[in-house]
Amino acid sequence: MTRTLATHHHPGMENSMELQENPVALGTAAARPRLEVTALSKTYGSGPNAKCVIEDLTFTVTTGEVVCIVGPSGVGKTTLLKCLAGLQPATSGTAAIDGRRIDGPPPEMALVFQDYSRSLMPWLTVRKNVRLPLRHLRLPAQEMNQRIDDALRAVGLDGSDGKYPWQLSGGMQQRVAIARALAYRPEILIMDEPFASVDAQTRFELEDLCLKIRDDFGMTILVVTHDIDEAVYLSDRVVVLGAKPARVLDVIGIDLPAPRDQISTRSLPEFAEQRTTVLSMIRKPA
Amino acid sequence: MNRKLRLPVSAGGVAAALALWQLIATGPMAGGPLPTVADTFAELAGLLAGGAFWAALADTLVIALAGLAAAAAAGVVTGVLIGSFEPVRYATAAVLEFLKPIPPIVILPLVVLIFGPTTPMSWFLVFFGCVLPIIMQTVAGVHDADPVTLDTARSYGLGRVEILARVTLPSAMPFIGTAMRVAAPAALIITVVAGLLGGGPGLGRSIYQAQASGDYPVLYAYVVVLGVLGLAFQGASALAERRLLHWHASYREVLTP
Ligand SMILES: Nc1ncnc2c1ncn2[C@@H]1O[C@H](COP(=O)(O)OP(=O)(O)OP(=O)(O)O)[C@@H](O)[C@H]1O
Ligand SMILES: [Mg+2]
Repeated sequence: MTRTLATHHHPGMENSMELQENPVALGTAAARPRLEVTALSKTYGSGPNAKCVIEDLTFTVTTGEVVCIVGPSGVGKTTLLKCLAGLQPATSGTAAIDGRRIDGPPPEMALVFQDYSRSLMPWLTVRKNVRLPLRHLRLPAQEMNQRIDDALRAVGLDGSDGKYPWQLSGGMQQRVAIARALAYRPEILIMDEPFASVDAQTRFELEDLCLKIRDDFGMTILVVTHDIDEAVYLSDRVVVLGAKPARVLDVIGIDLPAPRDQISTRSLPEFAEQRTTVLSMIRKPA
Repeated sequence: MNRKLRLPVSAGGVAAALALWQLIATGPMAGGPLPTVADTFAELAGLLAGGAFWAALADTLVIALAGLAAAAAAGVVTGVLIGSFEPVRYATAAVLEFLKPIPPIVILPLVVLIFGPTTPMSWFLVFFGCVLPIIMQTVAGVHDADPVTLDTARSYGLGRVEILARVTLPSAMPFIGTAMRVAAPAALIITVVAGLLGGGPGLGRSIYQAQASGDYPVLYAYVVVLGVLGLAFQGASALAERRLLHWHASYREVLTP
Protein backbone atom coordinates (compact mmCIF):
# COMPACT_ATOMS: atom_id res chain seq x y z
CA MET A 1 0.00 0.00 0.00
CA THR A 2 1.47 3.31 -0.97
CA ARG A 3 0.74 6.43 0.95
CA THR A 4 0.75 9.64 -1.01
CA LEU A 5 -1.43 12.62 -0.52
CA ALA A 6 -0.52 15.62 -2.61
CA THR A 7 -0.36 18.87 -0.72
CA HIS A 8 -2.90 21.06 -2.48
CA HIS A 9 -3.90 24.04 -0.48
CA HIS A 10 -7.38 24.21 0.85
CA PRO A 11 -8.84 27.69 0.86
CA GLY A 12 -8.84 28.96 4.38
CA MET A 13 -6.02 26.73 5.49
CA GLU A 14 -3.24 29.25 5.04
CA ASN A 15 -3.05 30.12 8.69
CA SER A 16 -2.99 26.52 9.77
CA MET A 17 -0.09 25.83 7.42
CA GLU A 18 2.08 28.12 9.52
CA LEU A 19 1.57 25.85 12.45
CA GLN A 20 3.48 23.10 10.69
CA GLU A 21 6.69 25.02 11.13
CA ASN A 22 6.37 24.52 14.83
CA PRO A 23 4.71 21.19 15.41
CA VAL A 24 5.70 21.25 19.06
CA ALA A 25 3.31 24.15 19.55
CA LEU A 26 0.44 22.00 18.41
CA GLY A 27 -1.84 20.92 21.14
CA THR A 28 -0.45 23.18 23.77
CA ALA A 29 -2.91 25.04 25.91
CA ALA A 30 -1.61 28.38 24.62
CA ALA A 31 -3.12 27.87 21.14
CA ARG A 32 -6.65 29.06 20.50
CA PRO A 33 -9.37 26.39 20.58
CA ARG A 34 -10.77 25.50 17.19
CA LEU A 35 -13.55 23.38 18.54
CA GLU A 36 -15.11 24.19 21.87
CA VAL A 37 -17.63 22.07 23.69
CA THR A 38 -19.16 23.89 26.64
CA ALA A 39 -21.49 22.34 29.22
CA LEU A 40 -23.07 20.24 26.48
CA SER A 41 -25.99 17.98 27.44
CA LYS A 42 -28.07 15.71 25.28
CA THR A 43 -31.33 14.09 26.30
CA TYR A 44 -33.18 11.80 23.89
CA GLY A 45 -36.96 11.87 24.05
CA SER A 46 -39.06 13.78 26.53
CA GLY A 47 -41.43 13.20 29.42
CA PRO A 48 -41.20 9.92 31.31
CA ASN A 49 -39.21 8.28 28.48
CA ALA A 50 -36.54 10.96 28.44
CA LYS A 51 -33.04 9.54 28.47
CA CYS A 52 -30.19 11.82 29.42
CA VAL A 53 -27.13 10.47 27.58
CA ILE A 54 -24.65 13.31 27.99
CA GLU A 55 -24.51 15.76 30.84
CA ASP A 56 -22.40 18.87 31.16
CA LEU A 57 -19.58 17.91 28.82
CA THR A 58 -16.75 20.41 28.38
CA PHE A 59 -13.51 20.14 26.40
CA THR A 60 -11.69 21.89 23.57
CA VAL A 61 -9.68 20.92 20.53
CA THR A 62 -6.97 23.20 19.19
CA THR A 63 -6.15 23.81 15.53
CA GLY A 64 -3.88 21.07 14.20
CA GLU A 65 -4.42 18.90 17.23
CA VAL A 66 -5.34 15.22 17.20
CA VAL A 67 -7.65 14.40 20.09
CA CYS A 68 -8.99 10.94 20.80
CA ILE A 69 -12.15 10.26 22.76
CA VAL A 70 -12.27 6.98 24.66
CA GLY A 71 -15.02 5.57 26.79
CA PRO A 72 -17.11 2.46 27.26
CA SER A 73 -19.62 1.31 24.69
CA GLY A 74 -22.95 3.10 24.96
CA VAL A 75 -21.54 6.00 26.94
CA GLY A 76 -22.61 8.53 24.30
CA LYS A 77 -19.61 9.06 22.02
CA THR A 78 -21.58 8.84 18.78
CA THR A 79 -24.25 11.06 20.32
CA LEU A 80 -21.59 13.66 21.08
CA LEU A 81 -20.14 13.54 17.55
CA LYS A 82 -23.60 13.99 16.00
CA CYS A 83 -24.05 17.13 18.08
CA LEU A 84 -20.62 18.38 17.00
CA ALA A 85 -21.44 17.69 13.35
CA GLY A 86 -24.62 19.72 13.63
CA LEU A 87 -26.80 16.71 12.83
CA GLN A 88 -28.79 16.99 16.03
CA PRO A 89 -29.19 19.87 18.45
CA ALA A 90 -27.76 19.71 21.94
CA THR A 91 -30.35 19.83 24.70
CA SER A 92 -28.34 22.46 26.50
CA GLY A 93 -24.85 23.89 26.34
CA THR A 94 -23.01 24.59 23.10
CA ALA A 95 -20.53 23.30 20.61
CA ALA A 96 -18.70 25.98 18.65
CA ILE A 97 -16.11 26.32 15.90
CA ASP A 98 -13.91 29.40 16.27
CA GLY A 99 -16.50 30.77 18.66
CA ARG A 100 -19.38 30.27 16.17
CA ARG A 101 -22.10 28.10 17.62
CA ILE A 102 -22.75 24.93 15.59
CA ASP A 103 -26.43 24.73 14.64
CA GLY A 104 -26.16 22.83 11.36
CA PRO A 105 -23.50 20.84 9.51
CA PRO A 106 -20.42 23.11 9.41
CA PRO A 107 -18.94 23.33 5.89
CA GLU A 108 -15.38 23.02 7.15
CA MET A 109 -16.06 19.70 8.85
CA ALA A 110 -16.31 16.09 7.67
CA LEU A 111 -17.61 13.19 9.73
CA VAL A 112 -16.68 9.55 9.17
CA PHE A 113 -19.62 7.57 10.55
CA GLN A 114 -19.24 4.56 12.79
CA ASP A 115 -21.84 2.82 10.65
CA TYR A 116 -19.69 3.06 7.53
CA SER A 117 -21.62 0.57 5.42
CA ARG A 118 -24.88 2.48 5.80
CA SER A 119 -23.05 5.73 5.19
CA LEU A 120 -21.98 4.66 1.67
CA MET A 121 -24.53 4.92 -1.13
CA PRO A 122 -25.06 1.41 -2.53
CA TRP A 123 -26.14 2.78 -5.93
CA LEU A 124 -22.85 4.61 -6.47
CA THR A 125 -19.47 3.14 -7.29
CA VAL A 126 -16.59 3.70 -4.90
CA ARG A 127 -15.35 6.57 -7.03
CA LYS A 128 -18.75 8.23 -7.24
CA ASN A 129 -19.23 7.82 -3.50
CA VAL A 130 -16.00 9.71 -2.92
CA ARG A 131 -17.06 12.29 -5.50
CA LEU A 132 -20.54 12.93 -4.11
CA PRO A 133 -19.62 15.55 -1.49
CA LEU A 134 -17.15 17.22 -3.87
CA ARG A 135 -19.79 18.08 -6.46
CA HIS A 136 -21.09 21.15 -4.71
CA LEU A 137 -17.58 22.49 -4.07
CA ARG A 138 -17.49 23.31 -7.80
CA LEU A 139 -13.86 22.31 -8.20
CA PRO A 140 -12.29 22.18 -11.66
CA ALA A 141 -12.73 18.65 -13.04
CA GLN A 142 -9.04 17.98 -12.98
CA GLU A 143 -8.60 18.90 -9.34
CA MET A 144 -11.65 16.88 -8.40
CA ASN A 145 -10.28 13.78 -10.10
CA GLN A 146 -6.86 14.38 -8.62
CA ARG A 147 -8.31 14.57 -5.12
CA ILE A 148 -10.31 11.38 -5.61
CA ASP A 149 -7.29 9.54 -6.99
CA ASP A 150 -5.07 10.77 -4.16
CA ALA A 151 -7.58 9.85 -1.47
CA LEU A 152 -8.25 6.37 -2.84
CA ARG A 153 -4.53 5.73 -3.24
CA ALA A 154 -3.89 6.97 0.30
CA VAL A 155 -6.21 4.35 1.75
CA GLY A 156 -4.94 1.67 -0.63
CA LEU A 157 -8.09 1.37 -2.76
CA ASP A 158 -6.88 2.77 -6.06
CA GLY A 159 -7.81 -0.45 -7.85
CA SER A 160 -11.38 -0.57 -6.56
CA ASP A 161 -12.84 2.71 -7.78
CA GLY A 162 -15.24 1.06 -10.23
CA LYS A 163 -16.62 -1.40 -7.68
CA TYR A 164 -19.77 -0.95 -5.65
CA PRO A 165 -19.47 -0.71 -1.84
CA TRP A 166 -21.35 -3.98 -1.35
CA GLN A 167 -18.75 -5.77 -3.42
CA LEU A 168 -16.09 -4.82 -0.87
CA SER A 169 -15.16 -6.23 2.51
CA GLY A 170 -16.09 -4.34 5.67
CA GLY A 171 -12.57 -3.02 6.10
CA MET A 172 -12.48 -1.83 2.49
CA GLN A 173 -15.85 -0.08 2.89
CA GLN A 174 -14.53 1.64 5.97
CA ARG A 175 -11.56 2.89 3.96
CA VAL A 176 -13.89 4.22 1.23
CA ALA A 177 -15.66 6.27 3.89
CA ILE A 178 -12.29 7.58 5.09
CA ALA A 179 -11.20 8.36 1.50
CA ARG A 180 -14.41 10.32 0.98
CA ALA A 181 -13.61 12.47 4.01
CA LEU A 182 -9.99 12.94 2.89
CA ALA A 183 -10.97 14.03 -0.62
CA TYR A 184 -13.31 16.61 0.89
CA ARG A 185 -10.24 18.18 2.60
CA PRO A 186 -12.09 19.33 5.69
CA GLU A 187 -10.36 21.62 8.13
CA ILE A 188 -11.85 19.59 10.96
CA LEU A 189 -12.06 15.83 10.56
CA ILE A 190 -14.17 13.80 12.97
CA MET A 191 -14.05 10.02 12.85
CA ASP A 192 -16.16 7.55 14.82
CA GLU A 193 -14.20 4.34 15.37
CA PRO A 194 -12.77 4.66 11.88
CA PHE A 195 -10.36 1.74 11.96
CA ALA A 196 -12.52 -0.81 13.75
CA SER A 197 -12.89 -3.22 10.82
CA VAL A 198 -9.43 -3.16 9.27
CA ASP A 199 -6.57 -5.57 9.92
CA ALA A 200 -3.74 -4.61 12.28
CA GLN A 201 -1.27 -3.74 9.51
CA THR A 202 -3.76 -1.52 7.66
CA ARG A 203 -4.75 0.02 10.95
CA PHE A 204 -1.17 1.13 11.60
CA GLU A 205 -0.96 2.56 8.10
CA LEU A 206 -4.24 4.46 8.50
CA GLU A 207 -3.10 5.82 11.86
CA ASP A 208 0.03 7.15 10.21
CA LEU A 209 -2.05 8.54 7.35
CA CYS A 210 -4.12 10.36 9.94
CA LEU A 211 -1.01 11.97 11.44
CA LYS A 212 0.32 12.78 7.97
CA ILE A 213 -2.79 14.66 6.86
CA ARG A 214 -2.71 16.58 10.09
CA ASP A 215 0.86 17.63 9.29
CA ASP A 216 0.23 18.23 5.56
CA PHE A 217 -3.00 20.16 5.85
CA GLY A 218 -2.97 21.37 9.44
CA MET A 219 -6.20 19.47 9.91
CA THR A 220 -7.81 19.35 13.31
CA ILE A 221 -8.75 15.75 14.03
CA LEU A 222 -11.09 14.22 16.58
CA VAL A 223 -11.23 10.43 16.74
CA VAL A 224 -13.41 8.12 18.79
CA THR A 225 -11.66 4.83 19.47
CA HIS A 226 -11.92 1.82 21.74
CA ASP A 227 -8.26 1.04 21.33
CA ILE A 228 -6.21 2.62 24.14
CA ASP A 229 -2.90 2.07 22.33
CA GLU A 230 -4.29 3.75 19.28
CA ALA A 231 -5.54 6.68 21.35
CA VAL A 232 -2.13 7.18 22.94
CA TYR A 233 -0.27 6.76 19.65
CA LEU A 234 -2.41 9.23 17.71
CA SER A 235 -3.26 11.85 20.28
CA ASP A 236 -1.97 15.09 21.53
CA ARG A 237 -4.64 14.70 24.19
CA VAL A 238 -7.02 11.93 25.17
CA VAL A 239 -10.50 12.78 26.45
CA VAL A 240 -11.81 10.00 28.70
CA LEU A 241 -15.58 9.79 28.92
CA GLY A 242 -17.38 7.81 31.58
CA ALA A 243 -20.35 7.49 33.89
CA LYS A 244 -24.01 7.66 32.98
CA PRO A 245 -24.93 10.21 31.83
CA ALA A 246 -21.56 10.79 30.18
CA ARG A 247 -19.08 13.23 31.67
CA VAL A 248 -15.45 14.00 30.96
CA LEU A 249 -13.57 11.92 33.53
CA ASP A 250 -10.21 13.31 32.53
CA VAL A 251 -8.27 14.93 29.71
CA ILE A 252 -4.84 13.39 29.48
CA GLY A 253 -2.08 15.22 27.64
CA ILE A 254 0.07 12.80 25.65
CA ASP A 255 3.63 13.90 25.72
CA LEU A 256 5.33 11.76 23.13
CA PRO A 257 7.97 13.04 20.69
CA ALA A 258 7.05 13.87 17.08
CA PRO A 259 7.18 12.46 14.51
CA ARG A 260 5.57 9.34 15.85
CA ASP A 261 6.60 5.97 14.56
CA GLN A 262 4.72 2.72 14.93
CA ILE A 263 7.69 0.79 16.22
CA SER A 264 9.87 3.23 18.10
CA THR A 265 7.07 5.33 19.64
CA ARG A 266 5.20 2.31 20.86
CA SER A 267 8.32 0.90 22.51
CA LEU A 268 9.07 4.05 24.50
CA PRO A 269 8.70 3.67 28.27
CA GLU A 270 6.60 6.89 28.22
CA PHE A 271 4.18 5.21 25.84
CA ALA A 272 3.57 2.42 28.35
CA GLU A 273 3.17 4.97 31.14
CA GLN A 274 0.62 7.05 29.22
CA ARG A 275 -1.20 3.93 28.23
CA THR A 276 -1.42 2.87 31.88
CA THR A 277 -2.67 6.33 32.87
CA VAL A 278 -5.49 6.19 30.30
CA LEU A 279 -6.38 2.61 31.10
CA SER A 280 -6.58 3.16 34.85
CA MET A 281 -8.73 6.22 34.23
CA ILE A 282 -11.16 4.12 32.20
CA ARG A 283 -11.22 1.26 34.68
CA LYS A 284 -11.60 3.43 37.75
CA PRO A 285 -15.04 2.88 39.21
CA ALA A 286 -17.11 6.00 38.62
CA MET B 1 -32.52 -24.80 -12.13
CA ASN B 2 -30.01 -25.44 -14.89
CA ARG B 3 -29.98 -22.43 -17.24
CA LYS B 4 -29.83 -24.59 -20.38
CA LEU B 5 -32.97 -26.46 -19.37
CA ARG B 6 -35.07 -23.38 -18.66
CA LEU B 7 -36.02 -22.56 -22.24
CA PRO B 8 -37.01 -26.08 -23.38
CA VAL B 9 -39.03 -26.56 -20.17
CA SER B 10 -40.95 -23.29 -20.64
CA ALA B 11 -41.54 -24.19 -24.29
CA GLY B 12 -42.86 -27.55 -23.16
CA GLY B 13 -45.27 -25.78 -20.80
CA VAL B 14 -46.58 -23.60 -23.63
CA ALA B 15 -47.00 -26.64 -25.89
CA ALA B 16 -48.88 -28.49 -23.15
CA ALA B 17 -51.24 -25.54 -22.63
CA LEU B 18 -51.95 -25.34 -26.37
CA ALA B 19 -52.57 -29.11 -26.48
CA LEU B 20 -55.02 -28.80 -23.58
CA TRP B 21 -56.83 -25.96 -25.41
CA GLN B 22 -57.04 -28.05 -28.57
CA LEU B 23 -58.37 -31.03 -26.57
CA ILE B 24 -61.07 -28.97 -24.89
CA ALA B 25 -62.06 -27.24 -28.15
CA THR B 26 -62.35 -30.52 -30.06
CA GLY B 27 -63.67 -32.64 -27.18
CA PRO B 28 -66.15 -31.40 -24.56
CA MET B 29 -66.74 -28.04 -26.23
CA ALA B 30 -66.73 -29.13 -29.83
CA GLY B 31 -69.07 -26.96 -31.91
CA GLY B 32 -69.19 -24.32 -29.14
CA PRO B 33 -67.83 -20.77 -29.17
CA LEU B 34 -64.27 -21.88 -28.33
CA PRO B 35 -62.38 -22.21 -31.62
CA THR B 36 -59.61 -24.74 -32.11
CA VAL B 37 -55.96 -23.78 -31.89
CA ALA B 38 -55.56 -24.25 -35.63
CA ASP B 39 -58.55 -21.99 -36.49
CA THR B 40 -57.38 -19.31 -34.08
CA PHE B 41 -53.85 -19.23 -35.45
CA ALA B 42 -55.14 -19.20 -39.01
CA GLU B 43 -57.18 -16.10 -38.14
CA LEU B 44 -54.17 -14.64 -36.37
CA ALA B 45 -52.10 -15.02 -39.54
CA GLY B 46 -54.88 -13.26 -41.43
CA LEU B 47 -54.92 -10.41 -38.91
CA LEU B 48 -51.17 -9.95 -39.06
CA ALA B 49 -51.42 -9.57 -42.82
CA GLY B 50 -53.96 -6.71 -42.62
CA GLY B 51 -53.33 -3.00 -41.84
CA ALA B 52 -56.25 -2.53 -39.41
CA PHE B 53 -54.68 -4.85 -36.88
CA TRP B 54 -51.40 -2.96 -36.85
CA ALA B 55 -53.20 0.36 -36.48
CA ALA B 56 -55.15 -0.99 -33.50
CA LEU B 57 -51.95 -2.41 -31.98
CA ALA B 58 -50.21 0.94 -32.41
CA ASP B 59 -53.13 2.75 -30.74
CA THR B 60 -53.04 0.36 -27.81
CA LEU B 61 -49.28 0.67 -27.35
CA VAL B 62 -49.27 4.45 -27.60
CA ILE B 63 -52.12 4.84 -25.10
CA ALA B 64 -50.68 2.35 -22.62
CA LEU B 65 -47.13 3.69 -22.79
CA ALA B 66 -48.08 7.38 -22.77
CA GLY B 67 -50.44 6.84 -19.84
CA LEU B 68 -47.80 4.86 -17.99
CA ALA B 69 -45.07 7.42 -18.65
CA ALA B 70 -47.29 10.28 -17.48
CA ALA B 71 -48.30 8.32 -14.38
CA ALA B 72 -44.66 7.51 -13.62
CA ALA B 73 -43.49 11.11 -13.96
CA ALA B 74 -46.40 12.59 -12.03
CA GLY B 75 -46.38 9.77 -9.46
CA VAL B 76 -42.68 9.98 -8.63
CA VAL B 77 -42.61 13.76 -8.38
CA THR B 78 -45.78 13.86 -6.27
CA GLY B 79 -44.57 10.95 -4.14
CA VAL B 80 -41.23 12.59 -3.40
CA LEU B 81 -42.96 15.84 -2.46
CA ILE B 82 -45.55 14.13 -0.28
CA GLY B 83 -42.92 11.91 1.31
CA SER B 84 -40.53 14.70 2.17
CA PHE B 85 -42.94 17.18 3.68
CA GLU B 86 -44.70 15.88 6.77
CA PRO B 87 -47.76 18.21 6.61
CA VAL B 88 -48.38 17.36 2.95
CA ARG B 89 -48.23 13.69 3.86
CA TYR B 90 -50.88 14.03 6.53
CA ALA B 91 -53.02 16.25 4.32
CA THR B 92 -53.03 13.72 1.48
CA ALA B 93 -52.92 10.38 3.30
CA ALA B 94 -56.68 9.97 3.81
CA VAL B 95 -57.57 11.06 0.28
CA LEU B 96 -55.01 8.73 -1.28
CA GLU B 97 -56.04 5.77 0.86
CA PHE B 98 -59.64 6.43 -0.14
CA LEU B 99 -58.88 6.60 -3.87
CA LYS B 100 -56.44 3.69 -3.98
CA PRO B 101 -58.87 0.75 -3.87
CA ILE B 102 -61.17 2.27 -6.52
CA PRO B 103 -60.63 0.28 -9.73
CA PRO B 104 -60.47 2.41 -12.88
CA ILE B 105 -63.50 0.51 -14.26
CA VAL B 106 -65.67 2.27 -11.68
CA ILE B 107 -64.98 5.72 -13.08
CA LEU B 108 -65.11 4.50 -16.70
CA PRO B 109 -68.73 5.57 -17.35
CA LEU B 110 -67.97 9.02 -15.99
CA VAL B 111 -64.82 9.36 -18.07
CA VAL B 112 -66.63 8.18 -21.22
CA LEU B 113 -69.29 10.76 -20.54
CA ILE B 114 -66.69 13.49 -20.37
CA PHE B 115 -64.30 12.48 -23.16
CA GLY B 116 -66.41 10.19 -25.34
CA PRO B 117 -64.93 6.95 -26.77
CA THR B 118 -61.61 8.62 -27.59
CA THR B 119 -57.89 8.32 -27.05
CA PRO B 120 -57.88 10.89 -24.18
CA MET B 121 -60.56 8.82 -22.45
CA SER B 122 -58.42 5.65 -22.50
CA TRP B 123 -55.33 7.60 -21.71
CA PHE B 124 -56.92 9.22 -18.66
CA LEU B 125 -58.11 5.87 -17.34
CA VAL B 126 -54.60 4.43 -17.66
CA PHE B 127 -53.17 7.45 -15.89
CA PHE B 128 -55.74 7.21 -13.10
CA GLY B 129 -55.21 3.49 -12.67
CA CYS B 130 -51.42 3.68 -12.51
CA VAL B 131 -50.60 6.95 -10.78
CA LEU B 132 -51.91 6.22 -7.28
CA PRO B 133 -49.91 3.05 -6.59
CA ILE B 134 -46.80 4.80 -7.95
CA ILE B 135 -47.36 7.78 -5.64
CA MET B 136 -47.93 5.58 -2.61
CA GLN B 137 -44.93 3.36 -3.30
CA THR B 138 -42.74 6.42 -3.84
CA VAL B 139 -43.88 7.85 -0.49
CA ALA B 140 -43.04 4.52 1.16
CA GLY B 141 -39.66 4.52 -0.59
CA VAL B 142 -38.85 8.04 0.56
CA HIS B 143 -39.55 6.94 4.11
CA ASP B 144 -37.35 3.93 3.70
CA ALA B 145 -34.26 6.07 3.01
CA ASP B 146 -31.56 5.15 5.52
CA PRO B 147 -31.16 7.89 8.16
CA VAL B 148 -27.39 7.29 8.28
CA THR B 149 -27.14 7.81 4.51
CA LEU B 150 -29.19 10.99 4.79
CA ASP B 151 -27.08 12.22 7.71
CA THR B 152 -23.97 11.56 5.65
CA ALA B 153 -25.28 13.72 2.83
CA ARG B 154 -26.30 16.42 5.29
CA SER B 155 -22.97 16.39 7.08
CA TYR B 156 -21.16 16.95 3.79
CA GLY B 157 -23.24 20.05 3.21
CA LEU B 158 -25.41 18.78 0.35
CA GLY B 159 -28.42 21.04 -0.21
CA ARG B 160 -32.03 20.01 0.17
CA VAL B 161 -32.64 19.60 -3.55
CA GLU B 162 -29.39 17.73 -4.07
CA ILE B 163 -30.26 15.35 -1.23
CA LEU B 164 -33.72 14.76 -2.74
CA ALA B 165 -32.27 14.00 -6.17
CA ARG B 166 -29.12 12.13 -5.21
CA VAL B 167 -30.05 10.32 -2.02
CA THR B 168 -33.79 10.22 -1.39
CA LEU B 169 -34.81 9.38 -4.94
CA PRO B 170 -32.28 6.56 -5.48
CA SER B 171 -33.22 5.18 -2.03
CA ALA B 172 -36.85 5.08 -3.14
CA MET B 173 -36.02 3.44 -6.48
CA PRO B 174 -36.59 -0.16 -5.33
CA PHE B 175 -40.12 0.80 -4.26
CA ILE B 176 -40.75 2.75 -7.47
CA GLY B 177 -39.41 -0.21 -9.45
CA THR B 178 -41.91 -2.56 -7.82
CA ALA B 179 -44.73 -0.12 -8.51
CA MET B 180 -43.69 0.16 -12.16
CA ARG B 181 -43.45 -3.60 -12.59
CA VAL B 182 -47.07 -3.86 -11.41
CA ALA B 183 -48.20 -0.76 -13.31
CA ALA B 184 -46.81 -1.76 -16.73
CA PRO B 185 -49.13 -4.74 -17.35
CA ALA B 186 -51.95 -2.85 -15.62
CA ALA B 187 -51.58 -0.03 -18.15
CA LEU B 188 -52.06 -2.53 -20.95
CA ILE B 189 -55.06 -4.15 -19.31
CA ILE B 190 -56.72 -0.80 -18.64
CA THR B 191 -56.17 0.29 -22.26
CA VAL B 192 -57.87 -2.87 -23.49
CA VAL B 193 -60.73 -2.56 -21.01
CA ALA B 194 -61.22 1.08 -22.01
CA GLY B 195 -61.60 -0.11 -25.61
CA LEU B 196 -63.73 -3.11 -24.77
CA LEU B 197 -66.18 -1.37 -22.45
CA GLY B 198 -65.72 2.28 -23.29
CA GLY B 199 -65.18 2.06 -27.04
CA GLY B 200 -61.73 3.65 -26.92
CA PRO B 201 -59.41 2.98 -29.86
CA GLY B 202 -57.09 -0.04 -30.00
CA LEU B 203 -57.22 -3.80 -29.57
CA GLY B 204 -60.00 -3.61 -26.98
CA ARG B 205 -62.34 -2.09 -29.50
CA SER B 206 -61.32 -4.74 -32.08
CA ILE B 207 -62.15 -7.48 -29.58
CA TYR B 208 -65.51 -5.88 -28.89
CA GLN B 209 -66.27 -5.75 -32.61
CA ALA B 210 -65.24 -9.40 -33.13
CA GLN B 211 -67.46 -10.42 -30.22
CA ALA B 212 -70.41 -8.35 -31.47
CA SER B 213 -70.21 -10.02 -34.88
CA GLY B 214 -69.83 -13.48 -33.28
CA ASP B 215 -66.47 -14.00 -34.97
CA TYR B 216 -64.91 -16.14 -32.23
CA PRO B 217 -61.71 -17.28 -33.96
CA VAL B 218 -60.84 -13.62 -34.57
CA LEU B 219 -61.72 -12.77 -30.98
CA TYR B 220 -59.38 -15.47 -29.67
CA ALA B 221 -56.69 -14.44 -32.12
CA TYR B 222 -56.81 -11.01 -30.45
CA VAL B 223 -56.67 -12.64 -27.04
CA VAL B 224 -53.51 -14.48 -28.07
CA VAL B 225 -52.01 -11.20 -29.25
CA LEU B 226 -52.87 -9.58 -25.90
CA GLY B 227 -51.27 -12.44 -24.03
CA VAL B 228 -48.05 -12.03 -25.96
CA LEU B 229 -48.17 -8.26 -25.48
CA GLY B 230 -48.68 -8.71 -21.74
CA LEU B 231 -45.62 -10.95 -21.59
CA ALA B 232 -43.62 -8.35 -23.50
CA PHE B 233 -44.67 -5.57 -21.08
CA GLN B 234 -43.87 -7.69 -18.07
CA GLY B 235 -40.51 -8.69 -19.52
CA ALA B 236 -39.58 -5.16 -20.52
CA SER B 237 -40.44 -3.70 -17.13
CA ALA B 238 -38.60 -6.48 -15.30
CA LEU B 239 -35.57 -5.88 -17.52
CA ALA B 240 -35.69 -2.13 -16.95
CA GLU B 241 -35.98 -2.70 -13.22
CA ARG B 242 -33.01 -5.05 -13.22
CA ARG B 243 -30.95 -2.50 -15.17
CA LEU B 244 -31.86 0.41 -12.94
CA LEU B 245 -31.60 -1.46 -9.65
CA HIS B 246 -28.59 -3.64 -10.37
CA TRP B 247 -27.07 -2.25 -7.16
CA HIS B 248 -29.97 -3.32 -4.96
CA ALA B 249 -29.70 -6.36 -2.71
CA SER B 250 -32.31 -8.30 -4.68
CA TYR B 251 -30.43 -7.92 -7.98
CA ARG B 252 -26.78 -8.00 -6.98
CA GLU B 253 -24.71 -10.30 -9.11
CA VAL B 254 -23.79 -13.14 -6.85
CA LEU B 255 -20.86 -15.06 -8.20
CA THR B 256 -21.37 -18.71 -7.39
CA PRO B 257 -18.18 -20.59 -6.62
N1 LIG C 1 -31.73 8.36 18.61
C1 LIG C 1 -31.68 7.86 19.86
N2 LIG C 1 -32.78 7.83 20.64
C2 LIG C 1 -32.74 7.37 21.90
N3 LIG C 1 -31.63 6.89 22.48
C3 LIG C 1 -30.49 6.89 21.78
C4 LIG C 1 -30.45 7.37 20.43
N4 LIG C 1 -29.19 7.23 19.96
C5 LIG C 1 -28.48 6.70 20.98
N5 LIG C 1 -29.25 6.48 22.07
C6 LIG C 1 -28.81 5.96 23.37
O1 LIG C 1 -27.77 6.78 23.82
C7 LIG C 1 -26.76 6.00 24.44
C8 LIG C 1 -25.42 6.34 23.84
O2 LIG C 1 -25.39 5.88 22.48
P1 LIG C 1 -24.16 6.19 21.55
O3 LIG C 1 -24.45 5.55 20.24
O4 LIG C 1 -23.86 7.62 21.56
O5 LIG C 1 -23.01 5.37 22.30
P2 LIG C 1 -21.49 5.16 21.91
O6 LIG C 1 -20.66 5.68 23.01
O7 LIG C 1 -21.23 5.70 20.55
O8 LIG C 1 -21.39 3.57 21.89
P3 LIG C 1 -20.47 2.61 21.00
O9 LIG C 1 -19.10 2.70 21.53
O10 LIG C 1 -21.06 1.26 21.21
O11 LIG C 1 -20.58 3.09 19.59
C9 LIG C 1 -27.18 4.55 24.28
O12 LIG C 1 -27.71 4.12 25.52
C10 LIG C 1 -28.24 4.58 23.23
O13 LIG C 1 -29.20 3.60 23.50
MG1 LIG D 1 -20.77 4.88 18.76
